[in-house]
Amino acid sequence: MPKMLTVENLSISFRTSEGVITPVHDVTFGVEAGRTLGLVGESGSGKSISTKALMQLLPGNASLSGETRMTYTDKAGKEIALGRLKTGSKELRRIRGGEIGMIFQEPMASFSPVYTIGNQMMEAIMLHRGLKKRAAREYAIEMLNKVGISNASARVDQYPHELSGGMRQRAMIALTLSAGPALLIADEPTTALDVTIQAQVLDLMRDLQRDLGMGMIFITHDLGVIAQIADDVAVMYLGTIVERGPARDVIRNPQHPYTQGLLDAIPSVEHLHDRLKPVPGDIPSPTARPTGCPFHTRCAQAIAGTCDVTAPTEVSTIPGRAVRCWLHSDKDRNAA
Amino acid sequence: MTPKHDTLIEVKDLSVHFPIKTRKLFRTEVQMLRAVDGVSFDIKRGETVGLVGESGSGKTTVGRAILRAIDPTDGEVIFHRKNKADIDLAHASETELRKVRSKMNMAFREGGINVHNLAGDLLRAFRPEMSLVFQDPYSSLNPRMTVRDIIAEPLVASGKFKDRAKIDARVREIAARCKLNLEHLRRFPHAFSGGQRQRICIARALVSKPKFVVCDESVSALDVSIQAEIVNLLKDLQDEMGVSFLFIAHDLSVVAQMSHRVAVLYVGKFVEYAPTEKLFFAPKHPYTHALLSAIPTADPDADYDPIRLKGEIPNPLAAPSGCRFHTRCPFAKDRCKTEVPAWRELDTDHFVACHFAEDFNFERHQKASGSGPKGAV
Repeated sequence: MPKMLTVENLSISFRTSEGVITPVHDVTFGVEAGRTLGLVGESGSGKSISTKALMQLLPGNASLSGETRMTYTDKAGKEIALGRLKTGSKELRRIRGGEIGMIFQEPMASFSPVYTIGNQMMEAIMLHRGLKKRAAREYAIEMLNKVGISNASARVDQYPHELSGGMRQRAMIALTLSAGPALLIADEPTTALDVTIQAQVLDLMRDLQRDLGMGMIFITHDLGVIAQIADDVAVMYLGTIVERGPARDVIRNPQHPYTQGLLDAIPSVEHLHDRLKPVPGDIPSPTARPTGCPFHTRCAQAIAGTCDVTAPTEVSTIPGRAVRCWLHSDKDRNAA
Repeated sequence: MTPKHDTLIEVKDLSVHFPIKTRKLFRTEVQMLRAVDGVSFDIKRGETVGLVGESGSGKTTVGRAILRAIDPTDGEVIFHRKNKADIDLAHASETELRKVRSKMNMAFREGGINVHNLAGDLLRAFRPEMSLVFQDPYSSLNPRMTVRDIIAEPLVASGKFKDRAKIDARVREIAARCKLNLEHLRRFPHAFSGGQRQRICIARALVSKPKFVVCDESVSALDVSIQAEIVNLLKDLQDEMGVSFLFIAHDLSVVAQMSHRVAVLYVGKFVEYAPTEKLFFAPKHPYTHALLSAIPTADPDADYDPIRLKGEIPNPLAAPSGCRFHTRCPFAKDRCKTEVPAWRELDTDHFVACHFAEDFNFERHQKASGSGPKGAV
């Protein structure tokens, strides 16, 4: 499968009153059509802003590094350099929504409270699909039906506050999909939902992806959700992708100590009496990013003099997988 | 994991109803929101009782009503004390409470809630025996107080400690137990990370050596790698101090790790209450079964096949008749629509509210410890 999106060497810096901070460091990933990339990481690991950079949704004090390459192949097969699009340009507006859709964590904050659900959907449909008002309304109802909202022809005239949380999240999905994106970025779409509703939404997203052949980036901190929905996974820690590869392989056989720690720390309903194994220490603040490997302050296997001095580069130990860790770089070197 | 088998708190038919006013053209309509409706359970000394349920099911309200941070509409909350008379919290000194109601609201608005300040003399004398740990470690610490003062506040508020040196000694003791760096006690909360803040909250909750602590979503806001540490800390402190926890969370796997017994709430009513193993491996209520099946596990080869519940969680203002779960239950029959199922003890310690509980066999197999995906490395 050809990559529909490739992101290479993405670094994002912010100018703040405390100096320049770089919450995203040299991130590389890609998405294929019809496949789901899971971005996992804890709060502050840079998973959300990495995807916001694609859509040029970063705040004004942010800047991308010169080596950043973000290439998106649109529905017509044209290659577009996402970083070069001018703000407010027609091209960017076509990409946002029409080519790349985004679902945010908090659906209450992403809907306007003063317009009805239908109104907001019709706006997107008329812009991206070129339909007239009446046809757009019909289409909005059809999409609401598709995401499992009962009585869609009445719901379409309701305001966001009149829907429950799960329904609002599904309406958000309907809104995003009604613009017909080829790539969907879902930023923690189920985190605010209860498990039974989360199961419904995950089901829905998987079905729609299969039907529409979309590529998807699924951002979450929940490895359980990743195991269920992602084909590929990239694990982020302090703005760096420490490990990536097919989701099943990474979860079955994690190579980076952080991925291992994260998997071990998850409480399980299967093993009730095992003591949980936390990853020791605290997540460093982005203003005090450790030198060398960002994880060395919490890593039990850190090599003094190496891990705390030089940042490891990404190496591929197993075909299709990549890990950024001196433990594996050494093995590689010895083998070579 | 050895709870002593004498009862600390007995909750009998606890109900909390909130009046909801809607302005109509010429009149105001008042509806009763039955946030909690006739809940009964008990908590033993040194035991953790988990409370799970979806948002809006009334978990937080149960916790607050037990602590009398909210007035229960009906029912009793009996606190058994050693060598002293039992006390019914639900009916403790109404007049006292009414006097302090305004203070209570203020305390909530400020975010830095301290249950010890919430109620009148009677409850104040008594509150050091109970405490509360909140969800958000950011908004529940007063940014203008040092960590030492935050942790010391319950002692100061109880009025029993006048001697600063004694307070200091107690603060340092509990801070050390909660693995806080003692040199950091003079700092302000903003200098701490989420995990450290939650440890400050726990130290504050335990400084007065309470018998009972409500942990309301205390680990939900934390990242997994940090969350595990706080869960372990709470368990250790319980073993050392013999404190009882009411552990409220929507994350079932954390509750499974923490609790000796677990209760499942659905729209203000208990549907099941059982020892953790029974509840997780042989649930008897279709709702519990559906909840458990919906937890995504981090095992790519597990057959994740959640039970698809139809529809939405009902609005508690218009709770369904009969069994509240009948609108979404895959096994609902006509009887469920009309008749409220009785809360009954199906098996020793295994309570359930379902007409047909005997007919279900939802058993799941418990994996041997250490097997499964985590052992694959």
